[in-house]
Amino acid sequence: MENKTKKNHTWIGVDQLNKGAEFQEAVEREFQDVPLADNVEKLATNRRDFLKYLGFSLGAATVAASCDIPVKRAIPYVVKPDEIVPGVATYYASSFVNGGDYCAVLVKTREGRPIKIEGNSLSSVTGGGTSARAQAVVLSLYDTNRFPGPGKMENGRFTQTSWAEVDKAVKGSLSANSRVAILTSTVLSPTAKKVLEEFKAAYPDTKVVTYDPVSASALLQANEECFGQRVVPNYRFDRADVIVSFAADFLGTWISPVEYARQYAANRKIEDVHKAKMSRHYQVEAAMTLTGSNADHRVLVKPSEQGAAIAALYNEIARKAGKPTVSAPRVNDKAAALLKQAAEDLWANRGKSLVVCGTNNKGEQVLVNAINDMLGNYGQTISFANPSLQRQGNDPDVQQLIKDMNSGSVDAVFVWGANPAYELPNAEAFAEAFKKVKLKVSFSGMPNETTALCDYVAPTHHLLESWGDAEPKRGMYSLIQPTIAPLFDTRQAEETLLRWAESPNLNIEAEQPYYEYLKAAWERDMFPRQTKYATFQNFWDMSLHDGVFELEEQEPSVAFAGDVQAAAAKITKPANSELEIQFVETVHIGNGQYTDNPWLMEMPDPINRCVWDNYLMVPVVFDGHRHFDCDGPFAGFNQEEFYGYADQAEIEIAGRKAVVPVVRQFGQMRGTVGLALGYGRTVAGKAGVNVGVNANPWLTIDADGNTQYFNTDVKVLGKAGKYEMASVQYHHTMGVTGKLEGSDEVINVDEQAVTTIKEGYQGALVDRTIIRRANLPELDKFVEELKEERREAEHLNQQTLYPYEEYKEKYYSQGHHWGMHIDLNACIGCGACEVACMAENNVPVVGKYEVFRHHEMTWLRIDRYFYGDYENPNVVYQPMMCQHCDNAPCENVCPVSATNHSSEGLNQMAYNRCIGTRYCANNCPYKVRRFNWLDYTTADLFPINENEVNGEAIYADNLVRMVLNPDVTVRERGVMEKCSFCVQRIQEGKLTAKREGRKLEDHDVKTACQTACPTGAITFGDTNNEKSAVRKQYESELNYIVLEEIGVRPSVQYKARVTNKVEELG
Amino acid sequence: MSYKSLTIWILSLMVALGATTTHAQEADIEAGKTLFKNHCAACHNRNMKDDLTGPALGGVEERWADYPREDLYEWIRNSQALIAQGHPRAVELWNQWKPTVMNNFPNLTDQDIENILAYIHYEYTKKPEVAQGPTGETTSTQPQASDNTFLIATIFVILAVLALVLARIVANLNYMMAAREGQPAERKTLMDILTSKGVVSFVIFALVVLGGYTTVNRAIMLGRQQGYQPDQPIKFSHATHAGLHKIDCQYCHDGARRSKHSIIPAANTCMNCHRAIKKGSKYGTAELTKIFASIGYDPSTDKYIEDYDQLSQEEIEKIYKKWITDEYVKDNGTLDAEGELEIEEQWENIVKSLTTETKTRIQGEIPWVRIHNLPDHVFFSHAQHVSVGKIECQKCHGPIEEMEVVAQYAPLSMGWCVNCHRKTEVKFADNEYYKSYARMHEEIAAGKRDKVTVEDIGGTECQKCHY
Repeated sequence: MENKTKKNHTWIGVDQLNKGAEFQEAVEREFQDVPLADNVEKLATNRRDFLKYLGFSLGAATVAASCDIPVKRAIPYVVKPDEIVPGVATYYASSFVNGGDYCAVLVKTREGRPIKIEGNSLSSVTGGGTSARAQAVVLSLYDTNRFPGPGKMENGRFTQTSWAEVDKAVKGSLSANSRVAILTSTVLSPTAKKVLEEFKAAYPDTKVVTYDPVSASALLQANEECFGQRVVPNYRFDRADVIVSFAADFLGTWISPVEYARQYAANRKIEDVHKAKMSRHYQVEAAMTLTGSNADHRVLVKPSEQGAAIAALYNEIARKAGKPTVSAPRVNDKAAALLKQAAEDLWANRGKSLVVCGTNNKGEQVLVNAINDMLGNYGQTISFANPSLQRQGNDPDVQQLIKDMNSGSVDAVFVWGANPAYELPNAEAFAEAFKKVKLKVSFSGMPNETTALCDYVAPTHHLLESWGDAEPKRGMYSLIQPTIAPLFDTRQAEETLLRWAESPNLNIEAEQPYYEYLKAAWERDMFPRQTKYATFQNFWDMSLHDGVFELEEQEPSVAFAGDVQAAAAKITKPANSELEIQFVETVHIGNGQYTDNPWLMEMPDPINRCVWDNYLMVPVVFDGHRHFDCDGPFAGFNQEEFYGYADQAEIEIAGRKAVVPVVRQFGQMRGTVGLALGYGRTVAGKAGVNVGVNANPWLTIDADGNTQYFNTDVKVLGKAGKYEMASVQYHHTMGVTGKLEGSDEVINVDEQAVTTIKEGYQGALVDRTIIRRANLPELDKFVEELKEERREAEHLNQQTLYPYEEYKEKYYSQGHHWGMHIDLNACIGCGACEVACMAENNVPVVGKYEVFRHHEMTWLRIDRYFYGDYENPNVVYQPMMCQHCDNAPCENVCPVSATNHSSEGLNQMAYNRCIGTRYCANNCPYKVRRFNWLDYTTADLFPINENEVNGEAIYADNLVRMVLNPDVTVRERGVMEKCSFCVQRIQEGKLTAKREGRKLEDHDVKTACQTACPTGAITFGDTNNEKSAVRKQYESELNYIVLEEIGVRPSVQYKARVTNKVEELG
Repeated sequence: MSYKSLTIWILSLMVALGATTTHAQEADIEAGKTLFKNHCAACHNRNMKDDLTGPALGGVEERWADYPREDLYEWIRNSQALIAQGHPRAVELWNQWKPTVMNNFPNLTDQDIENILAYIHYEYTKKPEVAQGPTGETTSTQPQASDNTFLIATIFVILAVLALVLARIVANLNYMMAAREGQPAERKTLMDILTSKGVVSFVIFALVVLGGYTTVNRAIMLGRQQGYQPDQPIKFSHATHAGLHKIDCQYCHDGARRSKHSIIPAANTCMNCHRAIKKGSKYGTAELTKIFASIGYDPSTDKYIEDYDQLSQEEIEKIYKKWITDEYVKDNGTLDAEGELEIEEQWENIVKSLTTETKTRIQGEIPWVRIHNLPDHVFFSHAQHVSVGKIECQKCHGPIEEMEVVAQYAPLSMGWCVNCHRKTEVKFADNEYYKSYARMHEEIAAGKRDKVTVEDIGGTECQKCHY
């Protein structure tokens, strides 16, 4: 097959495959040159600046002359709380909850302010893992765009009032027979549900309408029909040897990604090469998702073909099981063949397989349930013991509400944790209907499209200021406790509702009324359900300390009672259109719930690697010889992607036009395009306003009332100009392959340099080691090859003037030598580590324009490489950070020795010594060093050096600066920075061990990326300690070192990526 | 019970001690010291001779000798209970010391109490130290910087004179030579020599070098504040607290052992003692009232004021002026004009001390002035130095127990840090942590190495302090 590529050939983008020299030139230029003239209005000096310069000179002269010491204060507590020791972090167990998104967390606070999220390993749901969304929650606490207090909204304008006034106004317009609707996203809190019940008791004509920003409504309906339970069952990906997922992005966004990622990785990690065993994963989808990119086989079907694909798999299994088949539309041949193979695998692993489906079509979900039933998976890999409650929304309900509002049968609507005026597919219809309601109140703490339409805003506390509980899975309880006093004049929504309901159970005289209410609820409902603690106080204290309270349920027996034939009639029918669009939820910003969080906006989308925008993902096609292009109507688009420019396409979907920038996306199916949800917010925190295109109006609603995340009526009207592309895919590349001009030969770019410029450096002529990968059946052969390769590299490395062995003997062999191990098989590319690193190390946010200029500051990036079939490749993610080389090329070239080596093997960076020559970044083979081109943290005197991110100088505000980690220096303009292996944590861990007078152990030092990882892909520790986990990981025969042949002696080892592909399928 | 001569006292005590062995096993002075430090030292003076919050404890056993030993145990564990029972000695003490209530220590065993008593006795009877504690030792460790300026200046002057003389001689000789050879010659005057090209260029050169040297040195000194001794909002005297009363540094600066910060104590820490000691020995009500006004404690009623946060400045003024006035009257008999002036002055001072440009209210934190300012890019941990390195506070902070007003003792420059790291020996043998430096341990065992300094284990590397 022509599409097959040779061994170890990986690529990152089209240009690399299409072009040689041009691309190479572009990637070798580390930073994009943008003419200074573009920036000219920023550069112009105005009168105020002139005065500042004058003032500065005068000030400098005065300081130099008189040297008056400015008085600094040391402010102690008046009454110091016992649990706080200034300078020492305190951790509180809590939960990250946003609608149905859940993660058990520990909140790290310093002097009473939350600064970092860690996973709570006591939770059996998330097991200590976190997500990027959970990591970023601390920044949203200090958002300056939050409502300062309750307010009245008039024509979208907010006027602050008092709580008394809002209470009076709301209670004044409510009467006992008011028809109230409370519109929520999934409510995970059992106590909040009781609050809603109490409200209903006071206002009996109250309806609670729940929907999810990205719906799983059909899944719930199907389970209700098939098993009589309106829940998401308890999936066990760790028990499944064969996984087939129909468009369910269970590693990225679907239901409970942190939980599923941990389970999934558990069955994908290879401990013993000779007895290697791992699951096989088929993903059926059109647009690449995070889950799809990790799959062994991706089965490409158009969005409208999903139903046909599910029916096809159903029929294959039914034939094997001797059950009647259903009538199924035709699915494309390639997909049919793969599905046949999937059916074989599933059947061979009955009871150890799992089929999940992420579409929002009830018929399809019933069919998938039927497939799992035929495979005997219920009770094995799917269980109704402790089912998940993380999606509870029902799409038809909210559509009914719109009708009711239109007919005038709703007197008041309270919006809680939802933003229907943006999130709904028919948000405009909602807005129209909403206007007809007399009393509209939103509890949102942040301005959004819905608050703009409300009469009052009764802002609730931020999560980190709230009391609460959560029940992500039935019987699995989790508490939320405040870690800071409310920053603004907000009031928890539960309390607001109870006050309006005049609940006798709420003691409004109490200091924290809802806390008392919550405690009472737990005493009444939870305490009797356990036997471990004799008194409630003990139980409460321990639950609060642990953060979780879990009750295992017995496996219930369930019987499938779905109507398969009726379901088959309901499935989506393949459309005849030329082009279809799939709308996808991104890992970082969901359907807009996280759009105004700068950390998440700056986190590259793992799939298209773009930041601060949603790009139209168009497929890459290959002519079988040497030419790559965009598919169909997009032919000729994005020819300058590697220069940082995209083309914009004018598209028309179902009669609604828009202009969207395009990104070429490997793995996007021909005849389809993809677009992310969650962008194009019009009312939000500053970071999220008018970024990208809102895709929600293009969503459709099916006959069951469920929202559909695709559209088959797509027209491309043409190009609409160039676009500055903030994509990190071509930034900081290292030794990637390219093509010789005029030839098909795939060569190393450095090799090209050597042959054209006739000079080069050691290591340039070898096939550089960046990604090493294998397929499971050939693992033994691969290990032999890898050994040989590493022997060769070691031989090369021995030919050196650098006295590595001597240093090793003299310095590195005693005390500590820090090292890291990254299992590429466990890394799913979710990006939690990237955000954790930003939070831990005060890494600044730079914004779209700066990223376009290659100026992103991320210390840890996740590189994405493709391999295999050009049109449907496999993906491997590689977290890349400073490798802490023992023979570091950056150190030798620093003229001021600002970067040098420690005896513990750390590549140290002394910011205050750095003069900004950037030689080190130039000489770093891994391209992990970052330069502060501008004053990203706004510590400077002159606004000209400051950087605005979407119209906001984020860190200029003292409120936002509260998120900074006080143990890490805030770097100023003009200095280089990079990953430090979280040296502040190393030092802290060492100190703990010293103070306790014992040897340092693994748990003393864990890096931020390591603790954030949901799958445990990252191991860190002291490689001199024989008992350390990292030493154990270092023993694997699958390990390799990136660019080992260049002899820089890195301290990071990677474990090769292994897939479990059926070889004949490719 | 009255004191007799020391000899008799010791003899009687020995007898008593012999008797006590029937109550408990042999007492351990060291254990007693620890117990005393943890439980008693906050209120009872460590010299056992002077009263503090609580009475001096020296001779306590003797004072209780008339009663069963158990009574003393009971007294220490729960004094109020014994008072309530009407125990004569207990009531006597209560009358003397009320309303100060002694804390309860129900967890102390008889043996613990015996240990404490033994320590009290040991401390009370031991001979006073001749040297001034840690001060003498630490100051001597700082090498006396000998001042060479005078010597250099003298040499410089001598050399300059010598150069001038030589120049004169050369000029004269030249003149004589020229005169002998019959050439027209002019004798060079001193002025000629001084304004000659050579001298002028030398002077310019010297000025540039000297100026450059000074500029660089001064630039390095920028931001350094050795000797910085700002006025503090409260005239807190370390000499009184740490010197005279020997309160352990870490009683107030309790972060030093476990945090990077040593911690300026919260006002409630002050109140642990100053609820009992309401007037200072030096300033009377003038300084201590500031603490009360910060935290909201009314010394007249011995109560914390409810909703202190809500009070207006006038209401606060009323409360504390009353206290100051009452005390003035108590001391001086009547309130004269001078007294009124004094009270007004004290109050104004309180307001001034507790407010800043940014803090307009009296209530709340005391705005101490920070003396030791490290740059933001320096990470320093007290815990590392105090708990692990076991370094005396005085090593960096100087004779703090002699300072009325604290001044920055050390330069806090990087060179100063690094020099110490080069010299200081690591507590290598007694801390299991350092076991990972196996080779150094071997070298010590083999006699190849006599010590391991902080530098030897990487203590001068950049990222030990800069990250």
